Amino acid sequence: MSTNGSPREAVIEIRNLSKIYRDFWGRKKVRALNALSLDVYRGEVFGLLGPNGSGKTTTLKLLLGLLFPTEGEIRILGQPASDVRKNERIGYLPEESYLYKFLNADETLDFYGRLFNMSAAQRRERTEKLLNDVKITHARKRQLREYSKGMTRRIGLAQALINDPDLVLLDEPTSGLDPQGNRDMKDLILNLKSQGKTILMCSHLLPDVQDVCDRIAILDGGELKLLGRVDELLKSQNQTQVISTQLSPAAVAEVEAVLRKHGAEFTVDHPTVDLEKLFLQTIREAKERPGRRLVTEENVQKSAT
Amino acid sequence: MDFNPTSFEIAPALVGWLVVFGSCVLIVCAATLFGMLVSRGVSGPSIWGSELAGTVHDIVAMSPRRVWALTGLTFREAARRKLVYVGLVFLLLFMFAGWFLSGSDLPGEFQVKQYVSVVLTAITWLVPLMVLLLSCWGIPEDIRLRSMHTVVTKPVHRSEIVLGRMLGYGLVGTVVIATVAVVGYFWIGRMLPPSAKAHLTCRRPVFGKLSFLDREGNAVEKGINTGDVWEFRSYIEGATKARALWTFDGVNESMLDSDGNLILESRFLAFRSYKGDMQRSLYFQFALVNPETGLRYADPKFKTVNEFRSRTDTYPRQLKDGEETRDLLKDLVTSKGQLTVEVACIDPNQYIGMARPDLFIRTPDAPFRLGYFKAILCSEMVMLLVVFLGVATSTFAKGPVSTWLTSVTIVVGLTARDFMGGLVRDPEVMKKLALYAGQQEAAQQGGGVFESIYRILTHMNPVTPLPEGPGYAAMQAVDNAILGFLWLVYQIIPNFDSLHHAITFLAEGFDVPWDSAVLPSIALTAGFFLPCLLLGHFALRVRELESK
Repeated sequence: MSTNGSPREAVIEIRNLSKIYRDFWGRKKVRALNALSLDVYRGEVFGLLGPNGSGKTTTLKLLLGLLFPTEGEIRILGQPASDVRKNERIGYLPEESYLYKFLNADETLDFYGRLFNMSAAQRRERTEKLLNDVKITHARKRQLREYSKGMTRRIGLAQALINDPDLVLLDEPTSGLDPQGNRDMKDLILNLKSQGKTILMCSHLLPDVQDVCDRIAILDGGELKLLGRVDELLKSQNQTQVISTQLSPAAVAEVEAVLRKHGAEFTVDHPTVDLEKLFLQTIREAKERPGRRLVTEENVQKSAT
Repeated sequence: MDFNPTSFEIAPALVGWLVVFGSCVLIVCAATLFGMLVSRGVSGPSIWGSELAGTVHDIVAMSPRRVWALTGLTFREAARRKLVYVGLVFLLLFMFAGWFLSGSDLPGEFQVKQYVSVVLTAITWLVPLMVLLLSCWGIPEDIRLRSMHTVVTKPVHRSEIVLGRMLGYGLVGTVVIATVAVVGYFWIGRMLPPSAKAHLTCRRPVFGKLSFLDREGNAVEKGINTGDVWEFRSYIEGATKARALWTFDGVNESMLDSDGNLILESRFLAFRSYKGDMQRSLYFQFALVNPETGLRYADPKFKTVNEFRSRTDTYPRQLKDGEETRDLLKDLVTSKGQLTVEVACIDPNQYIGMARPDLFIRTPDAPFRLGYFKAILCSEMVMLLVVFLGVATSTFAKGPVSTWLTSVTIVVGLTARDFMGGLVRDPEVMKKLALYAGQQEAAQQGGGVFESIYRILTHMNPVTPLPEGPGYAAMQAVDNAILGFLWLVYQIIPNFDSLHHAITFLAEGFDVPWDSAVLPSIALTAGFFLPCLLLGHFALRVRELESK
């Protein structure tokens, strides 16, 4: 149900999906997916998690029609997964950027734009916008074989968005990116969500999933083990957290006394900053104030006291 | 010329193509329907039906823009790979190996034959070799590197991928052929000595129908066999009533040269039953005959047989026949345009050998560049055929296997097609085999697989008819079914005769005729296009593109 009470539209519907890989002689080799059923709703960021070999990438490839299901049914935007027409409204970023290395960025986006029957003017406009969004403009004329991994991921994302899709499928989107690139990718995902797009992402980088996903599914051994909203799943029901501005030692002692009186077990400490935030802040400050500024353990201890 | 040029007829060829194509489609549909029934049970036929409808829709709903995008991608990929440039350099170097041909003291027409053969052979076989490697590896590499994933996850039909690849590699091959053809044309012109340049022309022959009279003057199908296994040519005996008769159709003023002369070009062989005067060639005589009225003009001048070289004889419009003057077109050519040319051997107990193409009316020559262009067009057709086959096989096989499969198909088409035709008793091949004494008969003996096994085990003679009985009838029915299948396989192997002929025509100094060389080449390539496209589409559609 959506927040206004109306039934939510399922963009992806998976029912009893199974996939068995067979050898050349048709003998069963491995059951990669076993009776998976789930829905992905319009406008949400859905995370598909699991350890290696859990079936996340298999699920994604079944959705894209790169593999055929052994059993079960998939519908995407109301059409079967095998229907090519559904691809008009989806974008796909593969795990590795399987792009044509002999093309440059302009040619790459132009080529994929043509595959959507976009006119030359549309392709030009989208190419300019996407190259700016993914910050590749400076290298647009270089062949992709000369790109770094981060740049390749970004151009891969650009081609996934060339048709302004309603549904975006991302396979390990933050894999191989530096922290800044990682942040940019997550911001982009949240930006897409704010535009009403639906995103399905596979990842095993849990902090990234936690930052952006609304709902997650955890797979293991090809089976669905957990499904639900991130905020509800991660809430620890039997603990209470209080965060306050800096308290004096006397105030801290009073708080501890109250808690002891109620028989609570507790710890009082300074909250820690997210390492990603610290990293990004340091880089930002270094750009704003050039010149060496060395922060050592000693400096930190001195500033604490 | 050592082959008999025949006109290509579009209607029977189209019917033949429809039969073969339709049979293959029916077999594939039946096999897939059966497979669906086995794997999916009662829901199999409906799934099969929807897949079939989807396939038809995919083929019909192809987008030209997407196909062109994939064509451009393929072209760029090939152009940015070094293989094309390496191949081009290698090709040009190979052509210049003909530098060793220069300084030859052969007669002019043989020098022309050498240079033209080197250039055309290099173009015709090295360019397809290059595109073979490109086309057989393109899609498999795409699948292996997973770059195909970013394409099929767009609204792209499988047929568009196949067609885009075909057009892309075809374009690459065309550019290479065009480049090498232009270089080759100027190279031939520059390398030929001035004495040979006069032979750099395209003769335009008009061939007639050949028949014979035996030594008693009776009409027979063939002349005498003087002991040659290859019965392409047969002989007439000298100083008898034996004659070789060529009947030409459509003889009119346009066949005369600018001076109003009829030019006959001939190349006969001589067979001496005794040595005779070795300093002199054998004599023969021409006679021009009106086949309706029987009016004859016998050329009073005897001609000599120029073995292995052609000779031309000119007949003016007004022929002096004793006291009278005959108008060639009005008196000797019928109202329907028929003219018969009779050849008689003069020397007693000597023989002159001929085949249908050994005498023709030589109409005004075409410029060499026209024939060269047509021969290049035939080479282009071979290149495109290789592309179609290579791309189609690459949709279901990996690069090395696809290369092997395509190469084998081409090699079998070049070297073993007649053998296969003899096995399946193809009428055209049987006609060819009939030129080899005893071959046709031998090909018809022995029956099919199971009949042969039966005959071997029971020591039964190949010519003895089988006994009557249901078992024997069943055996023959199975053999016929196998033969039918082999016939289908035989039809799938491309027939490169028209290409051979195109090179031979030009190398021998003839224009490459549309009806017996160019049109069959175009039809051959066009005939493979749709089946290859469908095969490629079907193969890509049913396979999982996730590389393993």
